[in-house]
Amino acid sequence: MTFRERLFATIRAARPVLEEPGVLIVGSEVPNLLESGAASTLVVSQDLDVGVPVACHAAVKRQLPALLPHFEPSPDEPSVWTPRSPQLLELNFVGVDFSQDPAEAYVFEDDQLPLLVFGALSLVEPGVELNIEGSRIRLPRVAGLLLEKLVTDRTGEKGDRDLLVALGLLMTAAPADLDEFVGAYCRLRPELRYAVRSNLTLLSLIDARAGMPDPRPQRAAVVTLLRRLEAGGGEP
Amino acid sequence: MSAVLERRLREQRARVLIRAHDYRQRRHAHGVWLRLRRVLADASAAYAVSADDARALVAEGHAVQPVGAELEPPKLIVTVAADRVPAMAGAVPVPIRMGEELLAASFLVLVPFDTAPPRRGAP
Repeated sequence: MTFRERLFATIRAARPVLEEPGVLIVGSEVPNLLESGAASTLVVSQDLDVGVPVACHAAVKRQLPALLPHFEPSPDEPSVWTPRSPQLLELNFVGVDFSQDPAEAYVFEDDQLPLLVFGALSLVEPGVELNIEGSRIRLPRVAGLLLEKLVTDRTGEKGDRDLLVALGLLMTAAPADLDEFVGAYCRLRPELRYAVRSNLTLLSLIDARAGMPDPRPQRAAVVTLLRRLEAGGGEP
Repeated sequence: MSAVLERRLREQRARVLIRAHDYRQRRHAHGVWLRLRRVLADASAAYAVSADDARALVAEGHAVQPVGAELEPPKLIVTVAADRVPAMAGAVPVPIRMGEELLAASFLVLVPFDTAPPRRGAP
């Protein structure tokens, strides 16, 4: 079974939640879905990040029983639902609060579906709706998600994988997406702009990893973007 | 609150504090790694060269990257056009990452993207 087939099967199985208005797919699978025909060749992790705006939490919670044939809540991590079949990916629910400061985080308490709400996700805006074999899913705008990936501090193996998601977004971004990204970057406060530039330098130096997109051929594109940021709103 | 989410929240807040510290220190020694990464990001290729070759490049007027002098031990990092590299017989390509080969080189030549011909030999 290919990764694309697993991703599509997961979307099908999680359809009741994913089609809930307001819900966004926010993580590593976004570049895969943005590829032509949702080709899903930019694989960096084996889960599907489901962004739940806190205002939509109650509605999403009502849909959770429909997931039970295919997923079950993880006993270790209450915002993760693990698949009952190896042919599906894990669901990782994260909270989105559009009014939140990008540097903050809090826990949205709930006995059934508590969420860790990352402030950086407030930079994300709803974007294109895709029809994946009959399931209507909403992706974020590329610019905002790229900013979220680059404004968040990344360390270690997980950090590198997160930066490869940013790389995947860069690879699928249209020129207009990058213009929007630069504009949004310029509106950030200096500390966050610094984080974005720092993460881009890290991305430019990541080595290739087996089974993941090779960042090295994209180094020129990364530094071109970095130069645009420095020209548009960077500080030395 | 579940223990796992609480731990992740603490970790997230710690990262934000570290980032704030890094930002405050950006013009001091703590910022040297970003400055080094920034210089490397501009390079399409890197070579470890001999002291004589590096000094010859400086004498020719090629740009010296100040960040090299901030490191301990210091490095002489010189930026040159790609067509200057073949004249240095002992130039050894090193991968452009924060790895042992690059960090161990005392004399480093960087070729910026702008001047690199397509598919040149460095890794």
